[in-house]
Amino acid sequence: MTTTSMFKSQADRPVARRPWLSRWSDPDDTTLAVMLLAPAAILLGVMIVYPVSRLIYTSFLDLSLTSGLPARFAGLANFRQMPDDPVFWQATWNTVLITLITVPGSLVVGFALALLANLPFQVKWPVRLSLLIPWALPLSFAGLIFGWFFHSEYGVVNDVLGRIGLPRVIWFNSPRLAFAAICLAIIWKASSFMAMIILAGLQTIPRSLYEAADVDGAGRMRQFFEITLPLLKPTIVVALIFRTITALQTFDIPYMMTGGGPGTETATLAMYIHQNTVSFLDLGYGSALAVVMFGLSMLVTALYLRMIRGSGAAS
Amino acid sequence: MSTAAASTFDSALSGKPLRAIAALILIVNGLFPALWILLTSFKTEAELTQKPITWLPHAATLRNYIQAFSDQPLLTFLFNSFMVALLSTALTLLVSVLAAYALARLNLRFRGLIMSVIIAVSTFPLVTLLVPLFETMRALNLLNSRTALILPYTVLSLPVCTLVLTSFFEGIPRDLENAAMIDGCTRFGALFRVVVPLSAPGVFTAGILAFVNSWDEFLLALSFNSNPGLRTLPVGIQLYQGEFAFPWPVISAALVVGIVPIAILIVIFQERVVSGLTAGGVKG
Repeated sequence: MTTTSMFKSQADRPVARRPWLSRWSDPDDTTLAVMLLAPAAILLGVMIVYPVSRLIYTSFLDLSLTSGLPARFAGLANFRQMPDDPVFWQATWNTVLITLITVPGSLVVGFALALLANLPFQVKWPVRLSLLIPWALPLSFAGLIFGWFFHSEYGVVNDVLGRIGLPRVIWFNSPRLAFAAICLAIIWKASSFMAMIILAGLQTIPRSLYEAADVDGAGRMRQFFEITLPLLKPTIVVALIFRTITALQTFDIPYMMTGGGPGTETATLAMYIHQNTVSFLDLGYGSALAVVMFGLSMLVTALYLRMIRGSGAAS
Repeated sequence: MSTAAASTFDSALSGKPLRAIAALILIVNGLFPALWILLTSFKTEAELTQKPITWLPHAATLRNYIQAFSDQPLLTFLFNSFMVALLSTALTLLVSVLAAYALARLNLRFRGLIMSVIIAVSTFPLVTLLVPLFETMRALNLLNSRTALILPYTVLSLPVCTLVLTSFFEGIPRDLENAAMIDGCTRFGALFRVVVPLSAPGVFTAGILAFVNSWDEFLLALSFNSNPGLRTLPVGIQLYQGEFAFPWPVISAALVVGIVPIAILIVIFQERVVSGLTAGGVKG
């Protein structure tokens, strides 16, 4: 209790010490902790803390590499530009809409897949693989493949629609339909991961709870709502928050499927940041947009940390 | 009455036909896109533009695979993806093994805080790194280099790997380490000779997660490395599309080549991947 080191106790240190070893090869606990955590801390410092401070700094600059002018302090000019920028509103609105549609969407589909995968299969690997492959498939590949699925002439979706007697649809000419196709692709990609997390949660629920409920005469529906759902809540909350943050950053799938088109109708905030930075080389405005993105995801993260603290689920 | 009803419902739910339907739904949902690409990769260009479209290739050909390698430097893309993924995975593992050991074994006073920081970092939006890293890499002349990708990818996987490894290290009895130290090992000696070998499955799992993360990343690879010789696979794939042409059979062949390495990893190590994903964290 009275120790001034970082440690609560040194009780687990073995007694055998060899005094001739240098401090470096057999350090005490405090030194050791610093040594072990230093590489991670340095890496996070160089790759996150520095870039983020740089980002915030640049967002106050007028820094366009195409103009050839040196960076100039511009105050809030970059941020003031946003309200009058229709593409900013469109991209932000699309990002929020994608989040609001695909997060619950992938939860529902993922839950259904998890319940199916939780059935007592004799051979487990085909089911496991059919959840793992979509997870491992690069998002950009998924975007490309789904773009091809929804192709108006040769796409398999229109082929299936034709076979069941529905009219062919030109998906990527209409903003709404293009947007729907993008959301479907994202839900497909994200739901298998959701399913894996939920499946793992389902498998930790003791069977005896259901048996007891059977004895008490509770039906399947009641069991689902009164045993399964409450016990899975912590798992679902964590998965949802990660999904939300990933959805806010949506880039690969719309970039590959529509390139943001028609026009900028299906562009996302991440795509707009990319375009301003890499294509227009307007680093000032790109940074300001990224600050908005950063703020959005920090908000979700703060919520997340509060929730896991609240439920005591932090391991 | 309800017990009887529940048990018939129960047997219907776990009955064979239902399981078969469930398996079918899962497999079609999970594998159809990859299967479709595989089928397309064997079709000729002429067959592709037939209407109505064909599902199974009529005259299967391997020419698309040859073309995928000759039209674009596909081998180079593969090599770049491998180099970037392997190096960033190695770096991630080294850093996260050390950090996870400290978190699992030492009675850190700030453990809760450090854990919160790691979780917060795991939700860090990579997009926001785009602008400052682009600026920095440009200034340092590191655009179009593998380093420009290896470092950010290491940070991308660091939190998840640290969480996976921490939970694995916690599962290894302390007595083993203490015994090794009494026998004359230093703490580092005990870490690398006792703890790491015993948690090989955990290290491996973390490694696969890091590898897949790097293999899949697109935005930074697209923004930093525009030089064809340095493009990774997801970025290189785009080069097959011409201004007007969209040679789907060839693109499909290239996609299959890009999926196979990951698919092999997943097929061999499926159980470890699942345990890693659910033990350490959630990102995808």
